[in-house]
Amino acid sequence: MKIDLAVIGEGAVIPAGIGVDALLHREPATALVASLRQPDQSWPVLRIDLNDPAFARWQREARLRRASPISFFLVEAAEQALAGITPADRARTGIIVVYSAGCLAYSRRFFEGIVKQGQKTASPALFPETVFNSPVSHVASVLGLNGAAYALVGDEGAWVAALKTAAVWLKTGRVRQALILGAEEFDPIVLDAYRSAGWLRRQNSASGFLTSEGAAGILVRSARSGDRRIIATARDGLIYRTKKEAAHAAECLLRESDPALPCYRSAQHNWLGSLEKRATENRPIIPSADLPYLGEAFTASAAWHTLRALNLISPEVPKLLLPVWGLNHQFGLLELESARKNEKFPR
Amino acid sequence: MTRNIVVTGMGAVTPLGGDFPTSWNALIAGRDAQAPLELFDTTGCRCHHAASATLPDLPELPAKTVRRLARASRMAIPAAREALASAGLLDKESRSTLRELPFVVSTTAGGMAFGEDFLRRALNHERSHLFSQVSRYLPQQQVLDVQQVLGFAGHSVIIANACASGANAIGHAADLIASGAADCVLTGGMEALTELVFVGFDCLQATSTDRCRPFDLNRTGLLLGEAAAFLVLESAEHAQRRGAKPLCHLTGYGHTTDFFHLTQPQPEGNALVEMMRAAANQAGITPAQIGYINAHGTGTPVNDGTEAKAYRTFLGDALVSTRISSTKAAIGHTLGAAGSVEALFAVEALRTDHLPPQLNLQTPIPEIAHALVGENESSPKMHHVMSVNLGFGGSNAALLFSRSASP
Repeated sequence: MKIDLAVIGEGAVIPAGIGVDALLHREPATALVASLRQPDQSWPVLRIDLNDPAFARWQREARLRRASPISFFLVEAAEQALAGITPADRARTGIIVVYSAGCLAYSRRFFEGIVKQGQKTASPALFPETVFNSPVSHVASVLGLNGAAYALVGDEGAWVAALKTAAVWLKTGRVRQALILGAEEFDPIVLDAYRSAGWLRRQNSASGFLTSEGAAGILVRSARSGDRRIIATARDGLIYRTKKEAAHAAECLLRESDPALPCYRSAQHNWLGSLEKRATENRPIIPSADLPYLGEAFTASAAWHTLRALNLISPEVPKLLLPVWGLNHQFGLLELESARKNEKFPR
Repeated sequence: MTRNIVVTGMGAVTPLGGDFPTSWNALIAGRDAQAPLELFDTTGCRCHHAASATLPDLPELPAKTVRRLARASRMAIPAAREALASAGLLDKESRSTLRELPFVVSTTAGGMAFGEDFLRRALNHERSHLFSQVSRYLPQQQVLDVQQVLGFAGHSVIIANACASGANAIGHAADLIASGAADCVLTGGMEALTELVFVGFDCLQATSTDRCRPFDLNRTGLLLGEAAAFLVLESAEHAQRRGAKPLCHLTGYGHTTDFFHLTQPQPEGNALVEMMRAAANQAGITPAQIGYINAHGTGTPVNDGTEAKAYRTFLGDALVSTRISSTKAAIGHTLGAAGSVEALFAVEALRTDHLPPQLNLQTPIPEIAHALVGENESSPKMHHVMSVNLGFGGSNAALLFSRSASP
């Protein structure tokens, strides 16, 4: 589907720091966290430092008083992407937030309270913050985004669905511009979950992924002449349940694309890496291996890779393909370019 | 809407029945599905009842597969199949005739019961590896279940805008068609009762320990329910090309966010009024042309008071001619499915001129007392009906369905 979204703002919150510059250049440090099921076993994970000064202003916001970490990641990434946007324009801006697990930390705490202390002591302060769209509401409220607001759920492939949703909003005139964010927060329960899937990287090992958290977002509007960062097309819906189906979907993903187009490899250190390698082996590959490894944070990872790929666009690489590898539902593909059709990138 | 969008199929599993006609007939007959909740232990809760659905059999699937399905999938598969069948989009093997079919779905909890069980086991330090629980807890797995059983693939969107999600899903499906991104979309919502959500509403003291009495002065809270409901939306040209008969037209979708509070609407309902006006403007009609509104009407003190004020403001003088009811007293608040199942009820009211009665009403709130639907009430031929939903986070959505595309 042709979506023609011009990217006019970017924001990122990653374990290595705050901002798009950190996303491109800074190496994050791991911390060891014990699993819930086996407290004597710890795993290396990549965490956001909520004591970073960038979060201080959000911690003073009354609306965010009880909010979960994911709301803070989101509001900071959103504010970066909205830099320079006037309050009047913000009022016509829609917001789409994509999650895989959403407000996991509070959901776990809420249910753990029920299991350990009983239903009678369940926390009425925690429960509203477990709802998928609570962080969306917080961000829209704090930043004055008065347009449409959706919380979408899925694996990394939902990031592509969110971009298509934004394109539909713009085409139908529901919003003037749209802020699209991906975000995940860490909770020790995911160590047990990912371990049961065989996904986790052990200490001093190179296989498996590091669990990560954070957010990233882009502000988009319909592309027009002179725009220099465009998400031109989006393909999604290549679904799978088994590894065999995944292999078939991976084969189909790039089949219709121009074989000369360079490709950014995004499936780092997870089981989809070998599928990606096979699907892209006959194509020019954008060197991205020197970019710091940020771990796996599902929808946030999809957003991080999109920002990184957008920042790799140059006169030498005016167009590239970004496969989006969903870990448990679907694959997608984005085509990024430096200029609208028939326009040349200025040297 | 820039393209004429029609509804060509509907299907639902609700606490009142395993298919849409059964559910509708029970609703019109004034039945409600409130019963003691047996899905999980509620000993420590204030409330001990809900509106549970009886899960339809899935004889075409191996028993092992059925056992692995999330409760939400057990409702979503038959509801989606019924919608496709009534739209004439099922082949002899009960699979979609469209192999590529965009799917816009809503839920708030997906397969949460799997997640609850996994967490319980982890906290008990049980050694079993239960990856299937983790993977099937996520809502995209219920989407996959429906796609795989009914044999279609393609673009899918899962909207989780709390209790407005179902209306958002249908509205977004309409936007997909209006923008030219799709010609035909399967859309709707699914929600299964889970302990986390039930206890959550209970600890907020939002559930009623008595009967759910929407728009009654003595209302004490909501009744939680579960359901799945789906519609087939198409461009009129697409439906015409394949000879499908439209059930009605989707002519308006309004959607706003109320910033007032995470769990409470702004007392005057300004965002609600704005949302209903947006839907009416898109349809090119005045409030006076709306024959029936399927209201959100949860039965909580805060929601219903605000909602009633919003109807008064929006409808103005037309309040005397518009009929209003909330069907949550009958099927419960089905959260992520509410906007979808209630949209189906609104469509059926438009098609049949029968109106779902406002159950459990003793002392109607004065703002809309005369507009609330009584027992066995029908309406002279209506041309437009509206379905309204509100949700946590201030998500509001309204859908307008019309007999014809022109006002």
